[in-house]
Parts: sequence; structure tokens; C-alpha cells
Amino acid sequence: MTHHPVPSDATPDLTPYRAILQSPLGRRQLLRAGVTAAGLGAFLAANPRFALAQADKTGVDPATWTPEHIKEIAGTLEVDTAAEVAKIVPLDYAGNSSYWYVGPNEASADIEKTIDATFWEGFAKTYSGIPFTSGDNLQNVNYNDLLDKLRTAATGNAAPDVAKMPILWGVEFAARGQTREIALEDFGYTTESFWPGALKSVTWEGKLYGIPTNNETMAFIWNKAIFEKAGLDPEKPPATWDDVVTYSKAIKDATGKAGFGLVARVNAGNTPFRFMPMLWAYGSGALDEAEDEPTYKTVMINNEGGIAALQACYDMYVRDKSVPASALTNTQTENFDLYVSGEIAMMISHPSEYAKLLDNASKATGADKEFADELVKNTAYGLIPEGPVRRAVVFGGSNVHIFTDDVTGHTVDLDAAKALIAFSTGPEWSTRLAWLGSNPGNLDGFRTTWMKERLDSIPFLDVTTSMLPYGIPFPVIPESTQIMNEIVPNMLQNALTESKSVKDSADQAASEIEALVSGGY
Amino acid sequence: MSTVPLQHEPQPPLPPEQALPEGSARRRAPERQRNILLRIRDHWADYLYIAPALLVMVVVIGYPLVYTVYLSFFETPPRGGRNFNGIDNYTTILTSERFWMVTRNTFNWTIFSTLFAFLLGFGAALVIQREFIGRGIVRGILLIPWVISLVAAAYVWRWLYHSDYGLIGGMLQEWGVTQERFVFLDSTRWVMPSLIVANVWKEFPFVMIMLLAGLQTVPDQLMRAARVDGANSWNQFIHVTVPHLKNVIVITILLLFVANLNSFGLIWIMTGGGPAYASQIWIVEIYTLAFRSLRFGLASAFSVILFLFMLSIGYFYVRAMTSGDRERGHA
Repeated sequence: MTHHPVPSDATPDLTPYRAILQSPLGRRQLLRAGVTAAGLGAFLAANPRFALAQADKTGVDPATWTPEHIKEIAGTLEVDTAAEVAKIVPLDYAGNSSYWYVGPNEASADIEKTIDATFWEGFAKTYSGIPFTSGDNLQNVNYNDLLDKLRTAATGNAAPDVAKMPILWGVEFAARGQTREIALEDFGYTTESFWPGALKSVTWEGKLYGIPTNNETMAFIWNKAIFEKAGLDPEKPPATWDDVVTYSKAIKDATGKAGFGLVARVNAGNTPFRFMPMLWAYGSGALDEAEDEPTYKTVMINNEGGIAALQACYDMYVRDKSVPASALTNTQTENFDLYVSGEIAMMISHPSEYAKLLDNASKATGADKEFADELVKNTAYGLIPEGPVRRAVVFGGSNVHIFTDDVTGHTVDLDAAKALIAFSTGPEWSTRLAWLGSNPGNLDGFRTTWMKERLDSIPFLDVTTSMLPYGIPFPVIPESTQIMNEIVPNMLQNALTESKSVKDSADQAASEIEALVSGGY
Repeated sequence: MSTVPLQHEPQPPLPPEQALPEGSARRRAPERQRNILLRIRDHWADYLYIAPALLVMVVVIGYPLVYTVYLSFFETPPRGGRNFNGIDNYTTILTSERFWMVTRNTFNWTIFSTLFAFLLGFGAALVIQREFIGRGIVRGILLIPWVISLVAAAYVWRWLYHSDYGLIGGMLQEWGVTQERFVFLDSTRWVMPSLIVANVWKEFPFVMIMLLAGLQTVPDQLMRAARVDGANSWNQFIHVTVPHLKNVIVITILLLFVANLNSFGLIWIMTGGGPAYASQIWIVEIYTLAFRSLRFGLASAFSVILFLFMLSIGYFYVRAMTSGDRERGHA
């Protein structure tokens, strides 16, 4: 591949972002991030049992995907996106398509909005015959609304031609025959272009129904100043989930602030992303998704590990009152607000949240500025704690799918859909569209100059990348969404409100999962 | 000074076509049928005028209704497909513990919201009916909750109640009423009362407006007459005002009841039905079953149960709406 001369106006305006990063504070953060990442690389090398044990779930080889390797390969590939996509669909092709996705919203950092706008400008220049108009055939839908909207639209034969969905959602549409089977070769890819775990998330009954756009794992974030006030070593995050419970209580007792940012809201995607790593770490799972050879048929949520994980949450919420009382109604957005205001000491955090802290600091003025800068200075990222059985994190991300003619209500213009997908999932845009919060789904993206720019400019990106080998995908079954967004959060709520005992809550969740799979209420 | 009798005026005699036909019961039925046909013929233009509206209702209400009933007899697994399962969906719902918990929540929510919104609205209507300086401003202020968008109101209340940095909990703690932050929405015990307070705040202006309109129709002579007869304020209220407002009260309560039974937005935004289903009501459960769990068959059966209940409420509503007609002898 050669470097495609992207129009100058297609390059995102990184000026405000660079301004932060070029400040003394930004350089300090970068330096620290580099040190942290190097340390994590060394940790992985020294503790291969943690990573190797789970590598087969995602196919992310921990021996290969080290922070050092990622830095080494970044910037080694020149990409000419237009030339590549022209091999799939001619650039003068004229047609129509429609696209729904979760794009940047008002709360997003400015750079995300800029990149999104730049993408659409770039697509319009590359494929001027396939027009997209925002609000018409291009819908940027809120994360919490998109699934319902897609389900309703598909049921009413009004689905969009193409949709980008979080990794958990796609399989139910595939199982109902609402998304189209695809072949990677039609887009110029091979199975080596993506992580096996990512491809697994778009596979139903052995057939492929989508293309991975981006993949990420979360990491652990903590406020060193609060740790220090609580008499804890600010440079040492809790190593295990049991430590999290202990630290959380120590922080609450010493400072009155919430120790850990628990999220247990029902119908919020944030809850499973933050509880499942804990459940898996204790040796449990909703089904057997964390086991070496998952069958997705064995319910494990009420095993010893599941009860221990739930008990740990109970201890923090009920016994110690060391997590926000609002954990049952908070989404991560509200929890993050509590972190930003210095009321939470530690939590599982998406990579984009650190970028949001930087964004806040760049926009703050007066006393707020001082507070925001202090928070950025005191924020550290590390690996998510391990449990008695493993260290785990949700292998997240998104995939893009094409709906069938039946559910769109018309004949889908496949070439137009392919042009959009090939353009957005190629090495260039799979990297740039994942700028702050994720990794390119297309593994060639790691080799691009844009990846190098990201690594050079985004602190802690290496840390979250280092969690990838510990990633566990959600069960790839159509019932997964309900299990993760309803049953698991309700189990937490039953236990945390003491509506049921910890064991009864876990048992009920187990029976609900079993009933769900067999078609009960 | 002459007093006005408290009793209603004697009803005028029925028009000839409304009067009971003479003859035996056997003769009355065909006579009634003939009357109906005659009346339809006389009013054919009226039926023509409402035909487009009826057609729209058949399409947007009738078809979904029939389809929902049909779907309620099928199992619709999330993996797709549809299997006829008779009344299994109904028995599954009616025999589940969750249904009865949700039903209890629904009745608590509906009855207490309706009761308190009505009492507060009636009180407000009585107050602002009186002449006082600034009455217009007070009326305007009291209407604010009603005109505010439901979504905006739900978010504001959610923040007010927030268990960690909500204004209400903070004030209670600041004033020493509670030792710790009071937990509203994250408590299974307090979530429903908290939601009802927010709902009452949002709804009472509707009651106020309805009853204020009704109060303004109470004839002044009637009140004066009651006073002359020695009735005190309470007796005037109980024996003159309330009977005069009877129809307005019944219709307002029924409308409130139905609105609360179907109320979705406030609960969905503030709690999503939690914690631990403590604020899950029928309509939220139906939405959850259909669009979160993809159990369209179960959700349809649940909807049919709700529909039948609503239908019985609708019966009383129609009776209340047409009671005046009946009193005047019109069918």
C-alpha cells in the first residue's frame, strides 16, 4: 500500500488537542504513560500465564501484541485508501445507501466530532456518486436508543441498509436472518485482517454477518491524590478484586469519598462492561463464555465464583457503603462525573475517558481549570485487577452489518453498501474513527501513520491496549443483550437492595438465563 | 329575596321519537331498530364526515389491536420464528411472581398518583378561583409543571433526587433532617413514593385547569342561596360545589387514571423500572418484554391484559361522558 494523499481538509484539526499535549503537563503525562506502558509490557512478559490463558478467546497473542510491538509497527504502512477501495467498488459508482451508527454527541470531545465530520467529507470526495445526508440517509443515533430503533425498524421493514453496532448486538439480527451474510474477500480482506475474537462476534452458525470496525478493552483508572489521603500508595493500584473491596473501604473511611465506581443500572450497557470482568475474574460467567471452550449452554452465574463476585459488590455497596449510593441508577456517564468532581477514587474506565479529562482541562477556566489540571495530574491508568481465577476484561468494539432486502423494505444497493464499509473499515479510517477510545478493527491500522500519531499523542492508550490479551467476548448468542443488559444488572440490584440474598439473587439470575434460552418469562 | 331551589329543574318531556313506544316488549324491539335506521338515515352526512377519522382509527388502532391479540397466542423467541402456543403466554404471565409484583407497583403508582394529583389540583383550583392580588401570576406559575416537557422534567427530578449529589438529599442533610444522604431512587422502599411525588407535581395543573373551568360554571345564585339557607363554607363545598362538579370530577379522575396507567416516560427516564423492579409498572414491563427482551408474544399477551383493563376503565369513562345525555333522556 502507498500513502494516499488525503485532502488537506480531510485531516482532523488536532490543534486544541495538541495544545494540551504540548503543555508541560501533557508531556509529563506522556512520559508517565510511556513508563506505565513499558512496565505493563514487562509485566506481561513476566506473567505470561495471565495472558496466554485467555489469548485463545480473542486471538490477541500477548506475545505479539505488546505495547512495544505496537509502537514498533506504528507508522510502517503507507495507505492509499482511495486506491484500495477502488478495487472493491469503482470510485465513479453512483448509487444510494443509508447508514445508522453511534457517532459523537454533545458530550464527545471536540476531536471526535472533527474526525467524524472529516470522515464524511472524505467519503463524499472519494465516492461523490453515493451521497449521504445527515438526518436523512445518515443517522447518528444515541447509544442508548440505537438498539431499540434498529429492532423496531427491522421488524417494520424499515431498517437502514448498513448499521454499525456495538459488538454485543449483531448476533441477534443475524440469528433472525435480518442481516446479510458477507464474505471478507468481497471487501478485500482475509481472516488475518482482524482478531479472531472480533470475527467470532460477527459469526453465527459458522457464517459471517459483519465486519469488525474497532476493538477495545478498558483499563483501571484511579485518583492518586485520594489514594494518598487515604494512606494508600498512590502508585500502586489494587492488584486483586479483593484489594478493590479493601481499598474502597479504606478510602471511604479516611476521606468520605466513594472508593470504587460501581455501576449497576439496568438497561445500560455500562453495567456488564464493569461487572463482567469481576465475575469472570472470580471464575464465573453468565454462561461459560470465559471458559477455554465455551459452549454457551452451561449457566455459571450462580457458581461459587459468581456468588463471590456478587458478595464483593454487596460488601462495597451495603456493608461498607464505599461506592456511590447512586450506583443503581447511575450510568457510567454519571459515575464519570463523580470521578471528575473528585468524589470517586477508582473505577473501570474506557480509554476515551482520559481524553475527556484532558478536553475538560483544556476548556476549564479559573478555579475549575486548576481543579481539572490537578485531576489530570493525579489520574493514573493500570491493568484491571485480577481475581482468584483470572484477570479479565470485556473484549469490546463495534461491527458493521448490511441488512437484508426484506427488513429494509427495498433492494439494498450492495455496491454502495460495500463502498461505505470498505472505506470505513480500511486501515486508515478504522484507525482514525477509533481515535480516542478504541483500536482499529483492521489490524493493518496498527501499522499506519495515524496509529503512530495516536500513540504519540494519547496518554495511556498503551495501557488499554495491554488489556487486550485478557479480553473475553460476550457470549455470541442472540439472548446475550438481554442477559447482559437485564438479567445481570437485575441480579446486582436484587442483591444490593437486599431484595434477595446474594445467593438467591445469583440463583434467580441463573434460572432466568436458563428460562430465557428455553423461551420462558 | 327569592331563593333558588337546590333541586334540578324538572326535566322537559321527552320528544316523541324518544318516548317509550307503546305496546308489548315484542313490538318494542323492531320499533327500536326502525328508529335507529331512521336516525342513521337522517344523519347520513354526519357519518360521512367522521368516516375518514374512523378509517384512520381502524388502520392505526384496529389493525395493531387485532394483530397484538393474534400475536399473543404465539411464542416468539429472540432467535426468530413464531410458534403457536395457545394461551401459554397468558398462563405464563399470570402465574409468574413478577407479574403480581409489577401489578402491585402499577396500582400503587396509578392510584396514589391519581389521588394526590387530584387533591392537590382541586385545592389549587379552589385557591386560584378566589380573587386576590397576583392571582394571574400564581396561575401562571402553577401551570409551569404541566407545560414543561416530560423528558426535561424527568431529568430534573432525577438530578434532584440523585443519591450522591441531589439537591433534596443535600438539603435534608444540611438541615440536619437526615444524618446521611437520603437515598430516593436507589432504594426499593422509597423509589415509588419519590416517583409519585414527581408525577403528582407534573400532573396536578391538569386537574387544576379542569376543575377551575368547572368551578367557574357553578352558578353564583346557587352559592348565595346556600348561604342564605345557612350553609357554612364546608357545606357549600360539599352540597353545592362538589355535586355541581360531579361530572368534571369523574372525567378528570378517569383521564388521570388512564394517563397514569399508561405513563411510561417519567419512570423509564428516572429509574428504568428499578431498582430490583421496584418501580416496574405494566407499561414499562411491556416495553421491556417487547423491545429489550424481544418477547413480542409475551408482550402482546401482557398488552391484551392491559387493554382489557383499560377497556373496563373506558366503559366508565364513556358512561361518565354520556351521563348528561342519559339524564336528558338521549341515548
